[in-house]
Amino acid sequence: MDAVLIDHVTKSYDGVTAVNDLSFAIKQGAVFGLLGPNGAGKTTTLRMMMRILVPDTGSIRILDEPLTGRTQDLIGYLPEERGLYQRMEIGKILVFLGALKGLTETEAGRRTGQWLERFELTAWAKKKLIDLSKGMQQKVQFIAAVIHQPPLLILDEPFTGLDPVNAILVKDIMLELRAQGATIILSTHRMEQVEMMCDSICLIHQGRNVLHGDLREIKKSYGKNTLRIECSGDGNFMNQPALIEKVNHYGEVIEARLMPGADPQEILKAAVQQGVRINRFELVEPPLNDIFIEKVGGARA
Amino acid sequence: MRKFWLIVKREYVTRVHTKGFIFATILIPVLSTGLFAFSIFLATRQNNRTMNIAILDNTGGFASAISKSLSNTLPNGLPAFRVVQTIDRPSSEEAARKELLAQVNAGSLDGFLVLPKNITEAKAAEFHTRNTGDFTLEGTIGHAVSDAVITRRLSDRGIRVENLRDVIHNVEIKMVKVTRQGETEEKGQTFITAIVLAMLLYMTLIMYGIVTMRSVLEEKTTRIVEVLISAVTPFQLLAGKIVGVAAVAFTQYLIWIGTASLLGAYGGALAAAYRPGASIPIIRVPPLVLVSLLVYFLLGYFLYASIYAAVGAAASNEQDAQQMQLPATLPIVMSFIMFNVILRDPSSTLSVVLSEIPFFSPILMLLRISVQTPPLWQIALSILLLLITTLGVVYFSARIYRVGVLMYGKRPSLVEILRWLRYT
Repeated sequence: MDAVLIDHVTKSYDGVTAVNDLSFAIKQGAVFGLLGPNGAGKTTTLRMMMRILVPDTGSIRILDEPLTGRTQDLIGYLPEERGLYQRMEIGKILVFLGALKGLTETEAGRRTGQWLERFELTAWAKKKLIDLSKGMQQKVQFIAAVIHQPPLLILDEPFTGLDPVNAILVKDIMLELRAQGATIILSTHRMEQVEMMCDSICLIHQGRNVLHGDLREIKKSYGKNTLRIECSGDGNFMNQPALIEKVNHYGEVIEARLMPGADPQEILKAAVQQGVRINRFELVEPPLNDIFIEKVGGARA
Repeated sequence: MRKFWLIVKREYVTRVHTKGFIFATILIPVLSTGLFAFSIFLATRQNNRTMNIAILDNTGGFASAISKSLSNTLPNGLPAFRVVQTIDRPSSEEAARKELLAQVNAGSLDGFLVLPKNITEAKAAEFHTRNTGDFTLEGTIGHAVSDAVITRRLSDRGIRVENLRDVIHNVEIKMVKVTRQGETEEKGQTFITAIVLAMLLYMTLIMYGIVTMRSVLEEKTTRIVEVLISAVTPFQLLAGKIVGVAAVAFTQYLIWIGTASLLGAYGGALAAAYRPGASIPIIRVPPLVLVSLLVYFLLGYFLYASIYAAVGAAASNEQDAQQMQLPATLPIVMSFIMFNVILRDPSSTLSVVLSEIPFFSPILMLLRISVQTPPLWQIALSILLLLITTLGVVYFSARIYRVGVLMYGKRPSLVEILRWLRYT
C-alpha cells in the first residue's frame, strides 16, 4: 500500500502554475526525500497533502483514503517556519495540539509528559514558550508533530537549529517511528541528510517531477562516473577538458565528473607526473548534490 | 465539531486567564463605580466657608438689596456670603477697583462685585474672584443682582414689589417619559443610561474586534496557523476563535451587569449613607434594553470581529494591521459620531434610516431603544438586516482569512484581497 499517492495534480494561483501535472507515490514505511529548489512547489504539494489547499485537477490519496478530516489526523507536520503560541505554557500547547489531532485530552496529557521527559524538558512544562531557548522551542515543535503518533510524518528541515546531541535524538526518534511503521517525508536542502536517511526521493522543479524513484537506483543509473581524489599539492593536473566535464575543489578533496568514455588512469598519470601526492583515488557514484544541480540547472538552461 | 470546541476553549481559557482581562473586568466597574461615587461626592459637596465679598456699586443704592438676596446658608449653618465692604458711587472707580484687587490678592477678600453705572439699563455686572471654577457662584450672584435690578426697574415704573421671587418665579416643565410599561418622571437618567450603554457597546465592539484581529495575527506571525490548519479547516479555526472571544466578552458583560445591578440595588443606600437626604437618580435599565444590548453586541461583534479577523489574516505584522483596520473601525466610529442625530430626535426619518443600516444598527438602534422604544417592526427589521449582512460578511471574511493566513510578505493590495475571494 502506498502511504501517499499523488496523481496528476496541478495547482495554480493567479495564472502561476505552482504544481504542474505532478505524480509520485510513497511506499508505506519509507523515508522519502521531497527535494527541489526554492519555489519549486514543495510547500504547495505538502499543503495539498494536508488538505490545506485543494488541487485544481488530479487527486491525492493518503494511506489509500481520499483526503478528509480523518486523513488530516493521520499526518504529523513540522513546518519549516517554526512557531507556537508564545505566551502559552508548553505543556498546555502540546495537550491542545495533541487533542486537535484527535487524541483525548487525558491521553494528550499523558503523552506530553512522556515526550517532555524524553527531551529533558519536564522542568519546563509550566514555562511559557517565550521563556525557552530557540533549541528548546525546536524540540517542543518536534514533539507537537509526533505526539499523536501519526502514520505519516512530514518534516521540513527537521534538524535546523538543533545541536548535534539533539539532532541525533531527533534522528533516532525518526528511525524509531519508522520501525513502528510510520512513513516519513523529509523535505530539506541538505543533500547529505537525504543520502544518509532516505530510501527514495522525488525532485521537483518548476512544479514538475523531474526525478523520482529509489535513491540507490537513481545513483546507480548515473554509474561510477565521478572521481574523488584526496591529495596534497597543486591541483592543476585536473585541467584536462578532454577528460573532465566538471571539477569541484574542496581543499584537500577534489571531486570531478569524467567525460563519457574518459579513462581515469590518464588523470592519475598526470598527477604523478606533476609530483602530486595522492592519498586516495576512487571512482564513485555522483553525490546527490551533483544530481540535484544537474537536474535543476539543466532544466533551467 | 469537537475540534471547533477545542479552539473555542483554548481561546476562552487563555484570554480569561490573562492579566488584561482581569484588569479590564475589574477596573472598568471599579472605575465607573469610582466615577459614580465621585459624582455623588461632587454633587453633595459644598463649600463650608463663608465668602467675604465687597460690592463696588457705581449706580448707587443696590448694596443692601443684593446683600439681602445673598442670604443663603451653608450646610453647616453659616451664611454663604458676608458683604464686608460696600463702596457706593466712588469718586474714582479706578482707584476703588485697585484697592479691592489688592485686598483679594492679599486674601482678606474672596471676591468683589462691580456694578456699572446705570445698571438698570446695562446688561452685565462683573464678579472678580480668584477661583472662577465654582460655576454655582455665577448663578447665585447673578440671581441676586438680577433680582435687585429688576426690583429697581419695576419701582422706577411705579410698581412696588416686596418680594420679587413671588412675582417672577418660573413655571417648571416636568418631563415625563411615556413607555408601554407606564410613565416615569424624566430626570435625565434615560439619556445617561442610553449614552452609557451605547458607549459600552462602542468600546467593546472595537476592543474585542481588535482582540480577535490580534489573535489571528499572532497565529499567523508565529506560523502556528500552518500546524492548526493541518488539523482543522480554516473556517473551524476562524469560527472557533470568534466564538471563543465572544464568550470572553460575554463573561465580561455578565460580570459588569452583575456589578451594575448590585450598584442599582445598593447605590442609593450607599449615597444616602454618605450624605443623608441626597437624592440620587437611580438608573434602571429595562429588561428590553438589556436584552437588546446583548443581542446587538453579539450580532455587531460577529459582524465586526469577522472583518477584523480578515484584516489580521491579510496583514503580516502589527503595523500593516494598524493601517488596514480602517474598514472595520470606520463604521463603528461613524456610529459614534451619529449619536447626536439619534439623541436629538430618535424617531426622525434620518434616525430611523440610520438605525436600520446594518453597520450602524448595533449602536444606533440600541441608542434608540434605550431613549424611546421604537416600533417593534423597526427593531425586528434592523436585526434581520444585521443578521443577513453579518452572514454575508462572515462568508467573505472567511474566504479572505483562508487565503490570507498562508500569505506572508508584503501587504496585499485591495485588488489582491478581492482576488483571494475567488480562490478555491
